[in-house]
Amino acid sequence: MPMTKHFWLKAFLMVLCSSFTLFGLGAGTAQAAEDGEFFIIASVQNQILKDSKTERTPVAGVTIKVTSLDGKLIGEAITGEDGLCKIAVPTRDNYLIDIDIKTLPDGLNLIDAEKTQVRVNQELFTTSTKRVTFFTGDSGVAGASEFERIMQRLADGIRLGIIIAMCSVGLSLIIGTTGLTNFAHGEMVTFGALVAFFFNVNLNIPILICGPLVILISGCFGLLINWGIFARLTKRAIGSNSQLVVSLGLSLMLINIYLFLFGGRTKQLTSYSKQVNLRIGPIGITPRDLTTMFMGIGILLSVALFLQRSRFGKAIRAVSDNVQLASATGIDTQKVIRIVWFASGALAATGGIFRGLDEQVSFSMGSDLIFLMFAGITLGGLGSAYGALVGGFFIGIFVEMAALFVPSELKVAPALFILILVLIVRPQGIFGRSQRVG
Amino acid sequence: MDWLKIIENTLRASIGVDAIYFAIAAIGLNIHFGYTGMLNFGQAAFMACGSYGLGMTAQYFGVGLWWGIPIGIVFVVILSLIVGIPTLRLRADYLAIVTIATAEIVRLFVRSVKFNKVFGGTEGISNFSRQYRELNPFEPSKTYGIRPFLFTGYSIFTIFVGWILVGIFSLFTWQLMRSPWGRVVKGIREDEDAVRSLGKNVYAYKMQALVIGGVIGMFAGMLLALDRGSVQPDNYSRMVTFYILTALVLGGLAKVSGSVFGSMFFWVLFVLSDNIMREATRNGPLRVAGFTIIESNQVGAVNYMFVGIGLMLLIVFRPQGLFGNRQEMALDGR
Repeated sequence: MPMTKHFWLKAFLMVLCSSFTLFGLGAGTAQAAEDGEFFIIASVQNQILKDSKTERTPVAGVTIKVTSLDGKLIGEAITGEDGLCKIAVPTRDNYLIDIDIKTLPDGLNLIDAEKTQVRVNQELFTTSTKRVTFFTGDSGVAGASEFERIMQRLADGIRLGIIIAMCSVGLSLIIGTTGLTNFAHGEMVTFGALVAFFFNVNLNIPILICGPLVILISGCFGLLINWGIFARLTKRAIGSNSQLVVSLGLSLMLINIYLFLFGGRTKQLTSYSKQVNLRIGPIGITPRDLTTMFMGIGILLSVALFLQRSRFGKAIRAVSDNVQLASATGIDTQKVIRIVWFASGALAATGGIFRGLDEQVSFSMGSDLIFLMFAGITLGGLGSAYGALVGGFFIGIFVEMAALFVPSELKVAPALFILILVLIVRPQGIFGRSQRVG
Repeated sequence: MDWLKIIENTLRASIGVDAIYFAIAAIGLNIHFGYTGMLNFGQAAFMACGSYGLGMTAQYFGVGLWWGIPIGIVFVVILSLIVGIPTLRLRADYLAIVTIATAEIVRLFVRSVKFNKVFGGTEGISNFSRQYRELNPFEPSKTYGIRPFLFTGYSIFTIFVGWILVGIFSLFTWQLMRSPWGRVVKGIREDEDAVRSLGKNVYAYKMQALVIGGVIGMFAGMLLALDRGSVQPDNYSRMVTFYILTALVLGGLAKVSGSVFGSMFFWVLFVLSDNIMREATRNGPLRVAGFTIIESNQVGAVNYMFVGIGLMLLIVFRPQGLFGNRQEMALDGR
């Protein structure tokens, strides 16, 4: 297709040129004078829970370091009796504030052991001082018994498992029906969460009302990706490995568009953000999480039922099994592929919304999950929808349970272990049929 | 807008340290990707092997800097075995999944609080490059070169060493791919089963290629560590692999000169667009007709977005890159 080829190239060049001219024109118009002194004030507070009230006391003698993003040391100070220290910085810029945990008084630990570093973003550095607080103390779970901790982790794991399963079904179905390993799938998850954020926070529409709309939009986003990119590539007979690299490029593009539009911070959805834990036996869970859990289980069951019983579901499974055979029996494979892209976008978005409610919304939330999704679908068998459901669910639980033994910052590492183990022992996964390989 | 400065920065980037370490890493990745057809998306992890191998010498093993090379090679072999053993018998995309995941987990490990004592956490490791700096015949504080190619005495030493390494590895790869071994490896890319039917152990060849490309990637990491004077975990994120991949595809797969020129060209384009956008937003956000188009802290995101778009367009419209040969370019065996 020489016509379209030139069209796309030209379009891209035009966009590129026009953007450069725009930048060229805009230079030197605005000006801002920034002077005066800028400080970062770091505060270290010990937080204790007393009669269900938090009490904070300052911690003195802790070393705090400020570095620039390229690792240059800007300043270092030690907190005083008020738990505060003041470090001068040259300009409003991005900085990394580190607390030296070795200098903490004996017996004190950070509540969140991962948070030894706080990043100050230039965009948030609006006044002449920027305050950063580190909290020490226990996070309230230390008093829990071993059994309670395990049950709590199990509940968290089930929630994560539901999200992973939901997101992986589409990923696996796309591999099954088109042969494409879509590395941009994580960005489809983020897409759902960000659109939900836009409706919920910017337009102030409750999640329950805008949720279905978001899911619909995200389904169409999936269709758009297929129509705009991957269907065309298949038509041009571009092989699946090249398509894989294209999906990497797409992922790179999308994640930076999100970063551009949304910024680098994590933000919270407004609906159901402040809730108190319900106690159910040993487990503390918010009503919101309980609801999303049951909704998630309902969605997963209906997906399974759809695949098992409905005509389309059967067609999807048939194409996923063997494309040639399915099209020989009269199934419109292109239509099936379109349905799969729609479903995959919609399910990914649902997972994204749930994840956004569960944790927070950020531009990289989907790509942070993609390893777990890949581990899940490999465990279940690449291309198998049921495999993705079961594998994803299992991986979610496994990762949360593993956090009992490994530091939480490394809790995805056991998922890689599973991934490698599965590939050695049973590369076709639980539900996959073994092919002759090697 | 200061066009002279922009053009100078751009020209300087074409031979600077960034282009050099990209070129070395791309030469290694080319052995995986261009010649053998293995989708390694974890080149950053191989680079990290080199950097941490180097960084840990003085700090933890108490040996000289040059021991970093054998230590790094040991790391590379271990990493190759971890990603290679489960995946090299399987379809190409399994390797992609495992390498991308392993690279990310390697990064999480080295930056974790838990292993702070071994890898230095988020701060990484510094104070290991004294022996290297003592070799520097230039005066570190003086500026050398002719305009616009002005570098400090420290950088210019690294640039010399770097280009020598690029030359060595280019020559090595070129000769390697003309050897019988290279022909087998290229055969694997074209048709694995055919090579197997000739009695070659495809698995072993792939593993060897993985290690060789990984060791070359390791030197890229070492150079980066020596230039920065420190090893930092976030220099080895998976994004780095993607950028190197883009540079490689830009230059042309399965072509030694492609890796080198691709990296230079990548940095020229990257620095050019980065500088233009930074100049445009230097005095506050750029507005057109009352709308804010871009702010200075969004420049990075926009630039990386261009990289993603560029990678897609290249693969679709010009998979052989600038210098490659379409016949040799076989991401998908025919």
